[in-house]
Amino acid sequence: MNAILLLAAILFILMTLIGGKKGARSFFAIFLNFGVIIFVLFFMNDPNINPIIVTLFACAFIGCINLFFINEVNIKTKTAFLASIITTVVLIVFIVIIAEKSMIQGFGEEEIEELSIFSLYIGVDFVKVAASVIIMSTIGAITDAAMAISSPMREIHYHHPDISRKELFQAGISIGKDILGTSTNTLFFAFFGGYLALLIWFKDLSYSPGEIINSKIFSGEMITIFCAGIGVTMVIPITSWITAMYLVKRGNTSDTTE
Amino acid sequence: MKNIPLKKFYLYIILASCIASSALFVQNNDSFYERTIAEVKEVQTHHSEEVKDIYDNEDRLYEQRIVAEITNGEEKGQQIQLSNQYSKSKAYDYEIQTGQKLFVSIEEKKEGAGELSGDILDLKRDHYILLTGWIFILILLFVGKKQGLFSIISLAVNAVLLSYALDVYLKNPEISLLLICSAAVILFTVTSLLLVNGFNEKTYAAIIATLAATFLSLLITYLVIRLTGGKGLKYEELQFITRPYQMVFLAGLFIGSLGAVMDVAITMSSSLFSLYEKNNSIPVQALKRSGMEVGKDIMGTMTNILFFAYISGSIPMLILYIKNDSPLGFSLSMNLSLELARALAGGIGIVITIPIGLYTTIYFINRKRAQR
Repeated sequence: MNAILLLAAILFILMTLIGGKKGARSFFAIFLNFGVIIFVLFFMNDPNINPIIVTLFACAFIGCINLFFINEVNIKTKTAFLASIITTVVLIVFIVIIAEKSMIQGFGEEEIEELSIFSLYIGVDFVKVAASVIIMSTIGAITDAAMAISSPMREIHYHHPDISRKELFQAGISIGKDILGTSTNTLFFAFFGGYLALLIWFKDLSYSPGEIINSKIFSGEMITIFCAGIGVTMVIPITSWITAMYLVKRGNTSDTTE
Repeated sequence: MKNIPLKKFYLYIILASCIASSALFVQNNDSFYERTIAEVKEVQTHHSEEVKDIYDNEDRLYEQRIVAEITNGEEKGQQIQLSNQYSKSKAYDYEIQTGQKLFVSIEEKKEGAGELSGDILDLKRDHYILLTGWIFILILLFVGKKQGLFSIISLAVNAVLLSYALDVYLKNPEISLLLICSAAVILFTVTSLLLVNGFNEKTYAAIIATLAATFLSLLITYLVIRLTGGKGLKYEELQFITRPYQMVFLAGLFIGSLGAVMDVAITMSSSLFSLYEKNNSIPVQALKRSGMEVGKDIMGTMTNILFFAYISGSIPMLILYIKNDSPLGFSLSMNLSLELARALAGGIGIVITIPIGLYTTIYFINRKRAQR
């Protein structure tokens, strides 16, 4: 039996055992997200379509899947969705600039030997693809953090309906501070787990620190980690602000109409 | 300035001088490098042509003539002539612009020739890493204040630990990489959770749950790979391999899921403890129900974090495969099998942390109750 299928089956059984219906939906969401990635791949293969635009659409779809499909459409998920999209747009501007300046796109000299059978002049703009990859690797963490803030903020507003907008915003920020350490840690370990082979390679071939830091692959990985960290941090004030704006305004108008 | 307490004011000054001095250092650290560095003074694109490969992909090639000034070593201050070729898609090449710093190799200077000539080796990128690094740190401090500082410290400590663990492994290859990683994982878990959450029962419960869940998920993955004989896993896609590949893969998977498992464990234990603190006599049954609810809420988004962090990195390679007329199924199985296995194994780790975290936390709560 195929190892991946077996792992997927185990994950599915565990998720439905522990999460019930919602668990099954969460498992199915992984498949939907996989579908989105395949679509992204198709569009990026067309040199006439800007990969950044494709990525923005993909992020919106992924946001819908992670927030509206796993949970449901309600105030919490709507504000989290809006916050994720705004964060993504701000982040992508920054990432495109950095990717263009630092030239971390494409493949490094360490990889190029095994790619010698391929034609590299394929017309796809790899700088933009590199920026897209950084955004895509962070989008899961961004929607997660947005949801983790907007959901307890909704609870706070529910228990204290007359809370002021500023107090609610402060509450959101303080929730955000608590999850900050763990979300940056999650990304950090996920990336370093993936780069373990690379790190051993650098050490084995006794690269000097100067060579490691300036090599395309390592600097690309570092910039990805930092940008991911910037993304999950930035989403905290943005979500707190949007949720506070939305909830308190809504609260006031419903008070006056009732 | 009068609103800012003196202590904070000093902190700002220290931070600003750190940024300024590190920026100054990377701008002027050329003499610390052994490889020759040259700063680009003049760029001229003198030729460009359309190219078409055998798969009908259209691209454009450009040639540049570059004059640069060497900034370190014996030839410091001399001009050097370089040439560069790049394509519009820039998969393996880059467009040189004035002001950039390059690593170059110098060819033997011919008698009578006025200027040096050489080849471009690579780009100097250290200042971009520094720039993004500082932006990351500043945003983290600005939003997270004290907690932000602790997260930075915990990230730095973990990076040093990881590098040290790898050094130990490389010096003692007879010790299994998994064994070293297990020791490292215990250290990672203890330091990060203590730094972020402090010394209390909440943290102890999370540490025990994290360790139990990571080792259990590693065991499950290992058994699956043994049972299926690793069928479907294309180890040849593992790049940069200098050591036994299966060990490196398992160790990477082990460390990769650790952060997510820690995240779930601390979420479980802190939400259960906050319920207990609000109501000391809350029945165990109610704790179990609420804990499972919290677990269901975070399980979906957490598995997706790992999924995207792993899968997205393969996109450039997939594009290259598909553009070179490889069939989609072949390209996906060649490039994604290990990433998918990682994401799925990480997902298994996340999901089993939910009941493990629940029961360890309840154990700690019951112990606290008995002490009262």
